Amino acid sequence: MVTVNGEPQAQAAGQDILTFLQARQAPIDNLVVELNGTIIHRPEYEQTLIKPDDKLELISFVGGGR
Amino acid sequence: MQPTLQGMSIDSVYQGMKTRNVADSTERLTAAHVTIAGAGGLGSNIAIALARIGVGHLTLIDFDQVELSNLNRQQFKLSQVGMDKVTALKQNLQEFNPFVTIDTLVKEVDHDNVAELFADADIICEAFDNPSAKAMLLDAASEFFPDKPIVMATGMAGTHSSNTITTKQVRPNVYIAGDGTSTGAEGLMAPRVMIAAGHEANMITRLILGETTI
Repeated sequence: MVTVNGEPQAQAAGQDILTFLQARQAPIDNLVVELNGTIIHRPEYEQTLIKPDDKLELISFVGGGR
Repeated sequence: MQPTLQGMSIDSVYQGMKTRNVADSTERLTAAHVTIAGAGGLGSNIAIALARIGVGHLTLIDFDQVELSNLNRQQFKLSQVGMDKVTALKQNLQEFNPFVTIDTLVKEVDHDNVAELFADADIICEAFDNPSAKAMLLDAASEFFPDKPIVMATGMAGTHSSNTITTKQVRPNVYIAGDGTSTGAEGLMAPRVMIAAGHEANMITRLILGETTI
């Protein structure tokens, strides 16, 4: 089962990361994506497929500080 | 005649300023180079903390100028409105501790200059306000410097409990302070921004002194 930030998300399996992120309907440029412990850089989103037992971590940021 | 500062010998000023620092920290603090990306609410407070304890080399990067609206939380003075933030901050830091080497860059950080801007840093300090800039810096830093420590913050707005601000270690070399949720639209004020800045500054201090846990 695919997990995203620890939550099961079976429907993500088979999608590429870009498609998965776009379907969340939240800004994607505030995120850094970790797939099974490895950071996936932005140009790699489209060519990286989510496999059935992958663990995805979305490190997200909110504004304020500078 | 011996050179003096405030009528005291330079050596006695230098030694005197260290007397309350943690034992055996001086050498490592003096040798450290921290590059701070953003010189606003986070960056100005972090820089002051690190300068006071004697971190030897700070690089300050920010493209912005001091505005009146900054003064409720950023360590600038009314007399500095209109100045480049990094220039104003350097001026203030030198008054607190003249023994720190401070480089300033009036520049916007983007993916393409991260490799150059942070090459010499022992530790990268993220102190932006824009969430996409925060994510960009983590993405680029992990590409160009996969093992270099990076200390970041997200969520320090409003007047929520101080105790909701924590430091998390999300990767072996990536530390993120903040509450993770409050956004700048709530308003940003010195007390809570300084808590997040204090988290970042203390994590940076721990890393300099060899402590890699949060």
